[in-house]
Parts: sequence; structure tokens; C-alpha cells
Amino acid sequence: MDPSTVAAETAARTEATPFSSRLGEIIPKNAIFDSLFTVDAAIKAARVALAFVLGLILVGLVITVLKRLIKKRTDPRTGGLVIKVAQYLGFAFIIISTLEAADVNLSALLGAAGIAGIAIGFAAQTSVSNFISGFFIVSEKTFTHGDVINVDGKTGLVYSIDAMSVKLRTFDNQLIRIPNETLIKSNVSNITRFPVRRLNMDILVTYDTDVERARAILMDVAAEDPNALRNPEPVFMMTGFKDSGIGLFFGVWFATAEWFDGNNDMYIAVKKRFDAEGIEFAYPTMTVLPRPALPVPNASPARGKNRS
Amino acid sequence: MITWKRWDLPRNEGTRLHQFGDMRICIAVDMAGDGDILAALPIYPDRPTETRKKPRIPANLALPSLSDRAWTRFYMGSRGDYEIVPAYPPIPTCVRLKDPFSLPPGSTLEGWIFSRIEACIRVGDTSVVSYPLTRPAKTLYGPPDAGVVCRYDEAEFLATAEPIVSSLHADPRFVAHPVRLKNVSATPVVVSDLCIYGEQLSIFGVESMLQSEKLLFAFSSSGVRMSLDGQAPLPRGARTVAKPSVSGEERFIERSFELFKTITRI
Repeated sequence: MDPSTVAAETAARTEATPFSSRLGEIIPKNAIFDSLFTVDAAIKAARVALAFVLGLILVGLVITVLKRLIKKRTDPRTGGLVIKVAQYLGFAFIIISTLEAADVNLSALLGAAGIAGIAIGFAAQTSVSNFISGFFIVSEKTFTHGDVINVDGKTGLVYSIDAMSVKLRTFDNQLIRIPNETLIKSNVSNITRFPVRRLNMDILVTYDTDVERARAILMDVAAEDPNALRNPEPVFMMTGFKDSGIGLFFGVWFATAEWFDGNNDMYIAVKKRFDAEGIEFAYPTMTVLPRPALPVPNASPARGKNRS
Repeated sequence: MITWKRWDLPRNEGTRLHQFGDMRICIAVDMAGDGDILAALPIYPDRPTETRKKPRIPANLALPSLSDRAWTRFYMGSRGDYEIVPAYPPIPTCVRLKDPFSLPPGSTLEGWIFSRIEACIRVGDTSVVSYPLTRPAKTLYGPPDAGVVCRYDEAEFLATAEPIVSSLHADPRFVAHPVRLKNVSATPVVVSDLCIYGEQLSIFGVESMLQSEKLLFAFSSSGVRMSLDGQAPLPRGARTVAKPSVSGEERFIERSFELFKTITRI
């Protein structure tokens, strides 16, 4: 055959066959690309990419709005916790929507995730409990950053409220980490929550004290203190006849920020005034009364009796 | 007699005593290198006791040394003068009315109350220190869980819309407040305490007569609100001797408290 004729026939055949068939000649029929490079696959890939990008944009928008709202309404620590949770939820949302776009069977995946979740849940029981407890602590608003609280005898300034724990700075400058779960279960006293606080003084005076006079002196001492509040008025109460003296209770209100100074000033002033007015503080005493000597019985008759 | 004016430093006269009724403010100068240090100390009379009903001023003042912490010290630099001006307390003032009264629903009452001012020592534009003119006492305005700690004061309510001619108005230790009380609730309210935010107010004065802007106290079911109620007529020749310490915007923000039920005992 004439070579020019063969070339012409080949060219004519090439023009007659479609492009896909020619691609099929280049790439073998059983190749992996045959299944990958289909129109359906391209559309699916586009959907997945779109779902992922849109998810990122949406979550980003939500978190930005949330940050602005939180900045105005809550303290930074609480806000940080909420943002962190929102980020986790947002990422979960992105993953689920992306997988859904990729036509992945989520029910099987969720089933597997459920089993994994149970396993992880058992392993991370304490952490999850702390995390969830953190939400209750934040939502209850029992205390906030900067408050002074007492938890099971440990007193300190709330240094940080985190996802897992609350950290206290004690007055001797130690850092105490209290797990949120412990806080939920414990009795927590917030010492600085309210604007005013009462100083409770338990005083014991001797039995020869004129209680009415002691009361007037205590009221006078409170009136002298520039930080003691006029309203609510100081409280005076007799707490009873004790072993060593008469028990008195005297409560004076101070602004919470001035309670510490008020405590020292009041105790010093009461001591000075009682000393000046001749009122004695009672302390445990024991009264020893000498008994008169008993007459010694004459033992000689008995002795004589025994002998007889 | 109080004179709110500028003073030269007492460089060659020892300690200067400014008399404000029963109390005194001592001003002394301490040398510090190129400049001077102004030292200020308040002296209050003893409180009346059971045996002594009137406050007593110590006959011989034994002042602590200028290095004592009781003195407030301020470096003057090259300045040779200071000023004593009237000022409101740094915390709100709760004026307890000597005779509380009931205000019927929907009614309005105009009148006057008085509150005690402080003497503020200023050097140039800087407030060095401010001293109450009587021994200060504090009180709580509102309930213990949500109240406000205030300077305690007592006053009578003068129920008149006319400019006052009371002797209290001429007492330089007091500032007069024209007030309007308005009960917008549906039930009577008992007016016993009025809380004044001095930081929002000016002091207008002529000689020893001092006066603030007119105040409105509105009693509603949501609480008691203090707000400025415009300018009342001032004494002839009055000038501004103290300006509000907060900005103009803040000045008109109404302060409200959820204390209505407690304060007014509805």
C-alpha cells in the first residue's frame, strides 16, 4: 500500500472518531482515572469544596458576631470559653456538611463515631465532667474573675475561670487549681459578691460587767469608726452566760472593700475603750475554794479495840 | 468664715490653719531640693460622748511631724500657691431626711435639701486632696445585696418652690439642692433617703452661699432615678466654683437603681 494512502486513511479515521474515544485509546479502559475523571465526580468535588468553603465562611461569621456580642456582655474568661465551644461545634458542622456533600453514608459513620464516643467518654469521663461543670459555673454566675471565694476552706482571689478548672490566687500568693467538677459539688462562699459585709465580733466579758454600759461603749466605738456604716445599724446581742463570763455579740457593717481595715480598727478600738472604761475581758478561769480542814477522828480507841 | 480662694504657700509662718467650722485644715511647707512640698492634714473635733454632748476642739494642737503619714504631701515644684475650693464627696451622698413623708401617687413636690461639701486643695489644675468638713460617716443606700455605699448626711426637707432664705443656705459647709420629687407610680411612696451623685453636679456660689443645679427624683415601679432638672434661679452674682467631674454625656445619663421597693417601702 502506498504510504501516502495509509496516512490519509488514518487521518480520515481520526477525524471521524470522537475525542472521548481517542482518550480511551490513550488511557486504558480499566485505569483508575476512568472512574475518577467523570462529570459526576467533578460535580461532587465541586460540591464538597463549596460546602467546606461556605462552612468555613459561615462559622467564621458566626464566631466573629459571637465575639463582638460577648465582648460587650460578658467578662473575657467566660467569653473565651463560649468561643472555644462555638469553634468546636462549628468545625463539627463543617465536617458533617462536607461529608454529606461527598455522599458519604453518615449513618454508618455516626454509628462508628457513637461507639468511639462511648469509648472516649469512658476514658475522658473526668475531663468531660469538668468541661460541662464549667458551663454550669459560668451560667450560675456564683462568682466571677476578681472575686474572693472560699471553697472547702481554701480562700483566694479568682485568678481564672477555664474550661476544666478555676484557679485561685491565695493571699499568701499561691496558685490553687480547683477542678470545675469539685466546685459544682462543694459549698462555695463568695466573700466579695455584695457591696457590704458585716464584721462579727464575739466578746466575752466578766460577770461583774455592766452589760448596758458595755453595749453603749460598743455602739460608741462603731460610731467613731469613719468606715463603719450607719445603715445597716450595728447589731448587739447577748449570747448567754458562758463558763467564764457573759457572751456578747457585736456586728458592724462595712463596705466590702474596707472590711479588712475595719476588722483591725474595730478590734483595736474595742480593746482600748474597754481597757480605758475598766471593762474586763473574761478568759477561762477556775475558782478554787479552800475547804476547811476536817477534824481528824481519834484513832486510838479503834486501835485498842483491834488489839483486844 | 470660709473663704474659697487662692493662697500663697506659708513659707515663713509655720503651719497655717484654715478653720472650717469645727474642723481645721493644716497647711505646711517642707523643703525638697529646688521645689517645695505642700503638706496638708485635717483635724476634726472629738465626737460627743455620753458625758460630753458637744464636740470639743483640742485647746493645744500637737501636730505630728511633717514626715508622719498622717500628712498628705504633694510636690509643688516652682509653684508658690494653692487653692481651696468646695467639692462634692468622691462617693455618692445619701441624705437621710429628718422627717420622712409620704408622696401620693401621681403627685409632684418641689423643695430644697442640703448636703455637706468637702474642701478640696488644688495646685494648678491638680486636685491634691479633699477633706470632709465634718468627721465623715458612711451608710448604705439600698439593700445589702445591691445597695450603694454613700457618704452619710442628714437634712430637713424644705417644701417650697421659692428661692430659699434659710440660714443653712448661708452656711458655707452646706450646698443647697433645689429638688423636684415626682411619684409616677400608682401607689404612695415614703420619701426617707435621697441619693445625690455629686460627680454630675456643679456648685454655683456667691460668697458663702452655694447651690447646685435642680435635681429630679422620679419614683416609679422600677426604682428611684436622679436626674438633672435644669437650672434653678441662682443668687445674684453667683459664679461657677466647681464643675462636674464627669463628662457632659455622662452627666445626663440617669442613674437608676432597682431599689424602689426597699427604699420607698411600697
